[in-house]
Amino acid sequence: MFDNYRDVDERDVTDTTLVDVEGLHFSRGENEIFRGVDLRIPKGKITAVMGPSGTGKTTLLKLIGGQLVPDAGRVCIDGQDVHRLSRRALFRLRRRMGMLFQSGALFSDLNVFENVAFPLRVHTDLPEAMVRDIVLMKLQAVGLRGARNLSPAELSGGMARRVALARAVALDPELVLYDEPFVGQDPISMGVLVQLIKTVNQALGLTAVIVSHDIKETLSIADYVYIIADGQVMAHGTPQTLDVNRDARVKQFVHGEPDGPVPFHYPAPDFHRDILATGGGRP
Amino acid sequence: MIHHIVALGRGTLETVSALGRAVIFLVQAAWGVPSREGWHLWLRQMHFIGVMSLAIVLVSGLFIGMVLGLQGFTILVDFGAEDALGQMVALSLLRELAPVVAALLFAGRAGSALTAEIGLMKATEQLTSMEMIGVDPLRRIVAPRLWAGFVSMPLLTVGFSVVGIWGGYLVGVQWLGVFDGSYWSNMQSSVAFVDDILNGMLKSVVFGLVVTWIAVFQGYDLVPTSEGISRATTRTVVYSSLAVLGLDFVLTALMFGELG
Repeated sequence: MFDNYRDVDERDVTDTTLVDVEGLHFSRGENEIFRGVDLRIPKGKITAVMGPSGTGKTTLLKLIGGQLVPDAGRVCIDGQDVHRLSRRALFRLRRRMGMLFQSGALFSDLNVFENVAFPLRVHTDLPEAMVRDIVLMKLQAVGLRGARNLSPAELSGGMARRVALARAVALDPELVLYDEPFVGQDPISMGVLVQLIKTVNQALGLTAVIVSHDIKETLSIADYVYIIADGQVMAHGTPQTLDVNRDARVKQFVHGEPDGPVPFHYPAPDFHRDILATGGGRP
Repeated sequence: MIHHIVALGRGTLETVSALGRAVIFLVQAAWGVPSREGWHLWLRQMHFIGVMSLAIVLVSGLFIGMVLGLQGFTILVDFGAEDALGQMVALSLLRELAPVVAALLFAGRAGSALTAEIGLMKATEQLTSMEMIGVDPLRRIVAPRLWAGFVSMPLLTVGFSVVGIWGGYLVGVQWLGVFDGSYWSNMQSSVAFVDDILNGMLKSVVFGLVVTWIAVFQGYDLVPTSEGISRATTRTVVYSSLAVLGLDFVLTALMFGELG
């Protein structure tokens, strides 16, 4: 179905792949989330993984980060199979990654400054003055240098996400995984964040994986896009090729159309019959 | 019928697997012995777990000592043996009441707080984000708490015993008029260092390990929702209390019973 996209960037991608996901299968109980997902995340590019809610986008990031173990298939980062590494080697590999969580996941017992300084303190022996400079630079980039003494409880959801972004890039990692970075941001910080992700990526040559369903923002900065649905890759290509894709499901998702092959409703009996049925007070 | 057998099998498997996870968890966490950089983390937990439990443990110790003094006196005076009050108070506290009651209080105050704290960290993805930063939460979060609980429990038990003996003294000697000298000298002559003091301390070391282990494991292994945290907190208090009382019987039988 998306064979026509397979040739796009394929050669280029293979040469410089940082993350290689092959034949990934993963289930939670009875619920099969991935049924053979193949992805290649190219070095130094912004790759977006998109799809309707509940398709397991966050789960995919957790599989890449080695927090979950797949039922079958493998995830290789820079040639290392993430799920075959020892606990120690996995933690060593993770030092080269940064992850921005949907909730921010800031450490509640540390203030904003200490949260951003945390990776620097545990992984480097930098003098305190240098740690301070780096933290202030990162906080300046996300516009929260003035909030350095606040505790996470005093931050709004959007601010917490920006602090978390500063922390995720504190060590200038090679790979940054963004989990829904645009959710809950006001228009100003949304614009700043979009630019920030792009600038950081270009300036430092980072590889970024963005999991999101904010189509406009994500497509504006992504170099390559994978769309996941029904546990498989539904389509992939550059934003331009996806925009003109004629597959009904891709079209429905990319253009945000309510009617199409992807159902909006959770499976349920016929609405009229359901409403008219007398259930003896039961829902 | 077949459903009951299936449920029994599933329950057994889940229990065995949870026990296995708990043992692996303990072994992995115990490796995080307070190190150079972990020293201040351990000290901070000593403050939260040990120092903050001090008030409730000491006040309870004082009241239990006072009650022992009062009850002991009313029984002993019938036999004209009120001079043995010091011996009775000290032996009851050192052998049984101090380790057991301090451990139960510790489970209620520090154990439940540990479970809720670690559980909330899990629910808000703090543990996951720590893992993604390349820091093992078992070493950074769990190990300092485990060691702090392990070390503070015997110290709290010592505090409990000392204050309890003083409470018995206040009621027996100061209020009810038992002779000062006989209270202390009977205690001194009847309390053996190894049999009574050391055995009591050994109990508190075991209780400290078990209660803290249950508390941190329940926090680490819970379902990360508000309901999951509430259930795990309850489980910590229930399991710890049962474990303390059950182990107390076993240890008492080994130390003081025919088995010993």
